[in-house]
Amino acid sequence: MTTPSPATQLLRPDPKRRLALALSVLGAALLVVAAGALLVGSASVSPRAILSVLLGGKPEGIEAVVVLNLRLPRILVAALAGGALAVAGVAFQALTRNPLADPAILGVASGAAFGVVLAQLFGLGATVVAALGLAAFAFAGALVAAGLVYLIAATDGRLPIQTLLLTGVIVGLFFSSAITVVISVVDFNRLGGVIHWLLGNLGPISGGSLAVFAALSAVGLWLVLGRARQLNLLALGEESAIQLGVDAERLKRRIFVGASLLTSSVVAFAGPIGFIGLIVPHMLRGLLGPDNRLLIPAALLAGGVFLLLADTLARTLVAPAELSVGVITAFCGAPFFVYVLRARYRAIP
Amino acid sequence: MRRLGIAVAFLLLLVEPAGAFRLTDSRGRELILPGPPQRIVSLVPSVTEIVYALGGEGRLVGVTDFCDWPPEATNKPRVGGMLAPNLELLVALRADLVVATTEGNRQETFDQLRRLKIPVFIVNAQRVAEVMAVIAQLGELTGRQAAVGPLTDSLMRRIKAVERAVKPYPRPKVLYVLWPEPLIVPGRLGLLTELIELAGGASVTAGEPDAHPRFSLEAVAARAPEVIILARHGADRTPLSRAPWERLTTLPAVRAGRIHSVDGSYLHRYGPRVVDGLELLARMIHPKAFR
Repeated sequence: MTTPSPATQLLRPDPKRRLALALSVLGAALLVVAAGALLVGSASVSPRAILSVLLGGKPEGIEAVVVLNLRLPRILVAALAGGALAVAGVAFQALTRNPLADPAILGVASGAAFGVVLAQLFGLGATVVAALGLAAFAFAGALVAAGLVYLIAATDGRLPIQTLLLTGVIVGLFFSSAITVVISVVDFNRLGGVIHWLLGNLGPISGGSLAVFAALSAVGLWLVLGRARQLNLLALGEESAIQLGVDAERLKRRIFVGASLLTSSVVAFAGPIGFIGLIVPHMLRGLLGPDNRLLIPAALLAGGVFLLLADTLARTLVAPAELSVGVITAFCGAPFFVYVLRARYRAIP
Repeated sequence: MRRLGIAVAFLLLLVEPAGAFRLTDSRGRELILPGPPQRIVSLVPSVTEIVYALGGEGRLVGVTDFCDWPPEATNKPRVGGMLAPNLELLVALRADLVVATTEGNRQETFDQLRRLKIPVFIVNAQRVAEVMAVIAQLGELTGRQAAVGPLTDSLMRRIKAVERAVKPYPRPKVLYVLWPEPLIVPGRLGLLTELIELAGGASVTAGEPDAHPRFSLEAVAARAPEVIILARHGADRTPLSRAPWERLTTLPAVRAGRIHSVDGSYLHRYGPRVVDGLELLARMIHPKAFR
């Protein structure tokens, strides 16, 4: 028995059966984790009461409020945000041909966060129109940050790994300090609240915001998933991709916009949460191989599973207080980053 | 005529449920409840202190992790910190009113509570008169209106006594340090600026815009404070480090050895203990007046 080389794996015909298998396993995992998240919390609600609320049996009372207005929206936000971040990670990694690219490490999340803080200064908050405005500010911030990183790091059309990572860190730091400056100048009293938000905290958001979040994530997913096959060809090198008929520049622009849109909508509606775009795609590559047609839909589900698990831990570890979920993902993610860096680049002097 | 009056009264009854409870909060918004609130959660340590001082704690069903005064308050169910109260607990406690503040709680929390249909009453006090107004509001909310007068009267009497005691003396220049690094001081809108004034001092940062502005050490040196008061915070009762200040030997306050420290929980909250804080301040600024 021979293992196929990565190149033949990438060019294999439609991997429908493996995709169906991966998606059904991950989908089942997401359901199990979501059911677990629905069961635990500070308010004691019995599993039977939760079931009856979900089936529409108890429209009033504490159980209904806890399940329908608090836990369920939070689960949806976590699953969506985790999925969007993981897909954004796959996209940035394919775009830069670099497994360490991640929305947070590239500084894109910080750019989006700066946009959100600006939008909040203008009083954009809870209504649907305001949610769109918030997302627009975040998207603009993400595009500016990603564009800056790209322009600074690109040398002769290539993105050397060290330069890319350093540029991402620098651009991220720049936008973080820009946030601090804005808050210190405008309203120092709000600094505590903004720092709390910057740590990454999931909370129940309004139905309108959730709808806007879902719609924007769907557009971002479509932009990335629709070019999964071309991304596989890009992995062979830009020249080979062009020879195989890929319009590399157009492809890169589309992926760039899609990944920025995914990142910025997460930042706008769930706050900046790091490292999911790094951990989840890397684990999936180990299991499924490098085919983006498999990776992208699998990342959508697996990212949801991961963030939902992290958020449930955040809610329960120090109950009745809550940890910031961003702290938990960073706690797992930072060592993971070091591991990937060491394992992959040990050979390079 | 009388018939018309009865008709109007009847119409009013139709518009508004009998026994509706109305109260305007510190942002000028009118709170309308079907009846007086019975299960109140306080997201503000100052509010918790006032409710206990009024004897209204029977209607208080939840407090924050920071509500540590009076000591009995720590036995109430806790709903987490001021920035991120646990919404599930608020629901499980069947809160029918949350009392919060714009200084310390977040707009996101207010939005979330609105979606959960839990009414929010906002309090805020940056002047002694506003402290008295908040005490009156909380008296209404907890059904302890009768306790408001005696409490505010005794507080006002003690404030007047401090004013009388310090009146004969010239006002020294006072620097109050809310936070040492970065240096944060009470500004024009801060309650502390008024308290320093009442205690017979002249705050060197009284003209700064905002309630709690940041300040530079150079600006401190330029204003040559004669008394420096360092605030201690929260559960941390260890004395603040005076060393960084004692190095500034050209300051009159340092040369005269007039660096004091005070427990901030008296002065940074606007509960009844703020008058205890005022008396402490006055003794630091005018030791001769209280011999």
